[in-house]
Order: sequence, then structure tokens, then C-alpha cells
Amino acid sequence: MPQIPIIMPQLGESIAEAAIISFLVQPGDHVEGGQDLIEVETNKATMTVTAPCSGRIESFSAELNESYAVGDVLGKIEVTAEEAKRAGLDVPPPKIGDTETLTRQQSDGKSSRVEPTIRGLPVPANATGASYMSPRLKARMHELGLSAADLAGIAGSGAAGRVTIEDFEKFMANLEQQKLTKASSMRVAVADAMRRSWTRPLATVGLPVVLDALLAHRKACNPKPGPALYALRALAVALSENSAVAGRLVGANIVHPSSIDVGFAVEAEDGVLVPVIRASDKKTLKELVLRYDELVELARQRKLPADATGGSVATVTNFGTFGLIWATPIPLPEQTLVLGLGAGRKMPHWDEAKGQFVPVTEAYLTLSFDHRVLDGGAAGRLLQRIAALMKQPELL
Amino acid sequence: MSITYLEAIREAQAHALRDDPRVFIYGQDVGAFGGAFKATKNLAKEFPGRVFDAPISEDAMVGLAVGAAIEGMRPIVEMQFADFSTVGFNQVVNQAATLFWRTQVSCPITVRLPFGGTSGSGPFHSQCIEAIYAHYPGIVVLTPATVEDAYSMLLAAVATNDPVIFCEHKFLYYHLKAEKLPSEALPIGKARIAREGRDLTIVTYSAMVHEALAAATELATEGWEIEVVDLRSVKPLDTDTVVASVARTGRLLCVGEAWPWGGVTAEVIARVSAESYGLLDAPPQRLNAKDTPVPYHPNLWAAHRPTARSVAAAARKLLRF
Repeated sequence: MPQIPIIMPQLGESIAEAAIISFLVQPGDHVEGGQDLIEVETNKATMTVTAPCSGRIESFSAELNESYAVGDVLGKIEVTAEEAKRAGLDVPPPKIGDTETLTRQQSDGKSSRVEPTIRGLPVPANATGASYMSPRLKARMHELGLSAADLAGIAGSGAAGRVTIEDFEKFMANLEQQKLTKASSMRVAVADAMRRSWTRPLATVGLPVVLDALLAHRKACNPKPGPALYALRALAVALSENSAVAGRLVGANIVHPSSIDVGFAVEAEDGVLVPVIRASDKKTLKELVLRYDELVELARQRKLPADATGGSVATVTNFGTFGLIWATPIPLPEQTLVLGLGAGRKMPHWDEAKGQFVPVTEAYLTLSFDHRVLDGGAAGRLLQRIAALMKQPELL
Repeated sequence: MSITYLEAIREAQAHALRDDPRVFIYGQDVGAFGGAFKATKNLAKEFPGRVFDAPISEDAMVGLAVGAAIEGMRPIVEMQFADFSTVGFNQVVNQAATLFWRTQVSCPITVRLPFGGTSGSGPFHSQCIEAIYAHYPGIVVLTPATVEDAYSMLLAAVATNDPVIFCEHKFLYYHLKAEKLPSEALPIGKARIAREGRDLTIVTYSAMVHEALAAATELATEGWEIEVVDLRSVKPLDTDTVVASVARTGRLLCVGEAWPWGGVTAEVIARVSAESYGLLDAPPQRLNAKDTPVPYHPNLWAAHRPTARSVAAAARKLLRF
């Protein structure tokens, strides 16, 4: 009987591998197409691998608690000939000629790349200096799965302070003498995102906003929107008026967002997840409350659906929940903006009409941005607009 | 008893003449006179009718040797100076090198090139031309750096069925001494680790091995452990030993007495860069003679060729990278 492989599916954007948590069926079991077979865990969520077709589980080659890359064979299903035909196993592979034409067309496109030169010869831009990594160092780091940020703690003894292979091997040998624990895949994913984001010039501006109107509005609502949702909705409205500030700079082009999809940070075990509300400018605050609460819950359980992660244009983070009044959050690498909300505090405000100080609840709004895309002025105007919207919550 | 590099070459030829009746020696003044450097001293007397004086025509010398080889002989041709072998170049590279490929008839000739600089020898008696022979397929090019290798590699050259260019360094002729001749040797095409180290690899051959070893001794007082690889034969080139050494040290300096352009040092660096890029922790470097004709004046000559001092300076620069 023909056998069809059970393959680790593409579980979401930017997910390269997943670990096997449990097998939901046993070899010999009969399964239906689409039935859940294996529970797997990615750095974002727990998901299941489903049967590609009906048949009998022949074997599982994957092992419990091991990680497998997308596309890896996890096991095999024994199927009838009709089922194999339905699964497309008798379809001939695509003609090679087609892809060849495609590549030729692509390579004909003119390149306007700027290459640094010395005496007219192209040279790597970072051929010398502390940031230089020798071919051997690169090869060793690749072998060990390390990135440039991991070298930050090594004082290089080479030319201009570059890290030599001897420095590196000494550093690694010293590490082995210290206590090492395995970082979770979530930790590694956050580290990777922050490292990539930090390659850009990031800046933060801040503005206090009086929250009394917002708090009163919230009290009257049922269900109650979270304070971060007010900020998210205000950001979405502000971006719908001018989306260029949320654009990404790639080469000499600003890439404009195609949809105002805004994410919000949710603390999960050993990391942060960012569920996304799609087209958040198209729905009112009231319409978003249930979806927001649902996503918070799913994120905490690490069961976010694929359509609610990734691809957002900005993030809102409510660092006020930790009692912090000010912070400089780092935007995700694919984003230009992150809006932060600090903890509300009672503050004295001068009331001109009463001629006295009155207590108000005030919190800081912060906006971290890629300074290549916008400047302090544009960031300040955006933050002013957001603050103004948050003072009129009935408009959200 | 001690034996010099030059005496080892004479002994190897005597040994070859004794062992194999097909061997004969042909060259200018190699007979009664015993050769320009006395490398064939008394051999005409010991082996009558087997050591012949040649006319002053390198072209004719190699041509005769190729013809004799076709007829089953194993001739040794002595050039007075490597520099003059270019006059016989056509016979070596067009006739001898291609013979087996054209006719399936081997061409077991050995051409001895007294090469390399000595003080005051100038442009026509100092040149290192191993690279231009190594460029041609079908030729073996040997560059012994020790008395032992001069002896055993010359015997191996005579026993080889391909044409061999045997580069014997004139600077080593009288300077270099050994206690006795070797009874066993590394095979042709195998490099030798002349000194073990872990900080930097110097790949070199012939007389420059001794400059590199002296530089390594000097650098050892500064705390550096330099590995010196003696190629022994530049063709075939023992890439494996070189790469294994670079794997230990991560840094490569190639030293050659020949000119830099398209030379053995360039070939070694090209191979290491292409085949084991990921082993290099610093850009591979080379140190060669200056790219000018070899000067007469002893002071200019000393500045023209790499020396222990300039090798150590180049190594220090690379170690600091």
C-alpha cells in the first residue's frame, strides 16, 4: 500500500521549527483526513499537526520533546491507492525549464546597489575594526548557533579590538565552567527580534495625558475596555489619518502599511506575545473589547491563532501594569512604532476656573520610533494626536 | 663525520649510478672538472663512460636527455645555474612534460637546477624559477630544504617516471650540514612540519625554511608559537598538510624567495582561501622577494629577499591582526 508522509506544516510566519509535545494517536490507529495527530509547540503557541489524508498510521519517526523543522517528515500514513491519487502523489514534478526562465528574468533587472570600493575594487564595508568577524569566527559562530550580539561581552585583543578566534574560544571555554540553563524557545525568539530591531536608530518621546475622561468612560462600559485598548484604538485612529509615519524604510523607499493592524504586548511565561487586531481603525472601541479580551486570554494560554500574530504595523504596550511610569520600549523589527502607556498617578493640575490645584489621574504616553522614518516633530505630533483622542474616549 | 647539502647531492648521484645502469649524468663540465659547484666531483672517474660533458647548449642537453629517456635511460641533467635552464625551457615544457600524454612513453629525466640567491651573485645567477616549471602539467618540481631531503629526494627524482625539476639551493650548498645520510624519507608530495606551533602557520620551502625557523625562534622569545611547514615539493603541493596546519593556527603566512607574481605562495593562498576559507581568522599573507631583478650588491640583495627579520616582522603584523 502507498505511504504518505506526515510533514511538519508551516505553522505561521517566521516559524521555522516546532517541538513535539505529545502524540494524540498511536501507530496502527486508523485516522481521518484533518484529524489531529501530534501536538507541537512553537515559540509562539501550541498547535497540532493534522492527518494529510485518511489511512492507518504506519509509524512515527519523530520523537517526543525533539524539535523538527518545517517540512521535516514526522511519520507515515498507509493509505489506499485512491487516497494516494487524491493526495496528488501521481502528479509529475514541475518542469525545470519554467523556473530557469524566471531566474533569468529576475537577474536581468538592473541593480542600483552601492558598493563601497577601495581603488575601484569592491570590498566588504566592515573589513576592519571591532565589528570585523573573520571567516573562521563566522564559521564557528554559525556552528554553535551564535549571533553577533553574543560577542558583546568579549573584549577583543585583535586589531582595533576585533574578537580573534583565540578570544572567542577562551570565552566559550570560560562559559562552560559556569552554570548554564537552556533558554526557552520563547526567550530565544524575543532575543532574536530585539537584536534585529536594535540595528536601527531608535528614539523615544513622551507626553503626559490626563486619564479622568477615559476612566469615567471605562466605568460606564460593560464589558470594560482595558486602558491599553483605548491607547490601541487611539493609535489606530491617528494612523488612519496619516499612515506614512508607520511606514518602514527599505533602501530609498517608504513602505506604507496596507492595513492598520495593531498589536499589543501580553506578558506570557518567560517572554512577550503580541496578538494583533486586524484593521483596528475600521472598528469602534466597543466592537473591539471582546476580541481584545479573547486574544489576551489566548496569548496567556499560548494558543494564539496564526491569523492573530505577525504582520502588524505598530504595537501598544501597557508597561503601567508593572507600576512603571516611564519606559523606552523597542519596536518589533518589522515595525517603526511602539506606543507605551505608563501607570496612572494622582497629580495636581491647575484649574484656571476654580483658581486652585485639583487632583487628576495622569499617565505618560511614550512613543518609540525608528528615527530613519520619522523625526521628533512627527513623533511628537502623532503622540499629541493620540493623547487628544484618549481625552475624548467617546470618539473612539 | 658530517656531510653538506652539496655532498649529499653528489652522494645521491653516486648512489643512483651504482644502483641503476640506466642512469647517466650530462652537463657542462660535469666530467673531469666535477661540475661548476663540484656536485659531480670524481663521479666521472668512479663511473667511467656514464658522466658526460655537454656543449654550452641547454637546449641540446635536455633534448638529448629526452631522446635517451625514450630509449629507456634515466638521465640526470645538470644546469650550471637555474637561470640558464630557460634556454632549454622548450625541451622541458613542450617535449618532456607532454611526452607521456602524447605517446604513452614515459620521460624519466631529472634536471638539476642550482637555484636561489647568494650574496653578490646578481640577476643571472640567483633566480628562483620553480613556479614557471610548476605551472606546466606533467612536471614534478622538488625543492629540498635539508641535507637529508637533498639526498633522498634526488634519489626519488631519479626513480620517478615523470620529468623532475630538482631545485637545489646554492645558499645551502656549503652552509647546511648533517651528521649522516638518511636511510628513510617522506614520499614525494608530502610536506613536513618543520616546527610545531599554534599561533600562526608559515608555509615555505627550500632555503626560506631556515629563515622561517629562525624567525620562529625569535618570535618564541615573545611568547608566540609559530608552526613552520616545509613544502619539500612545490608540485605536487601537499594542500592537506597546509590546511591541517591552518586549522590549528587560523593564520597563514607564505614565504618564498621567488617573485610574488603568480608564484608558489600565491598558489598556496589561493588553495587555502578556496578550500578552507572558514579556517582563516586573519587574511592570509605572503612574503616574497621584491618584484625586481635580483641585485648584485650584497646590501641590496639582503633587502631584496625575505630574511628571518622580515619574516618575523610580517608574522608579527599578522599575529596582531
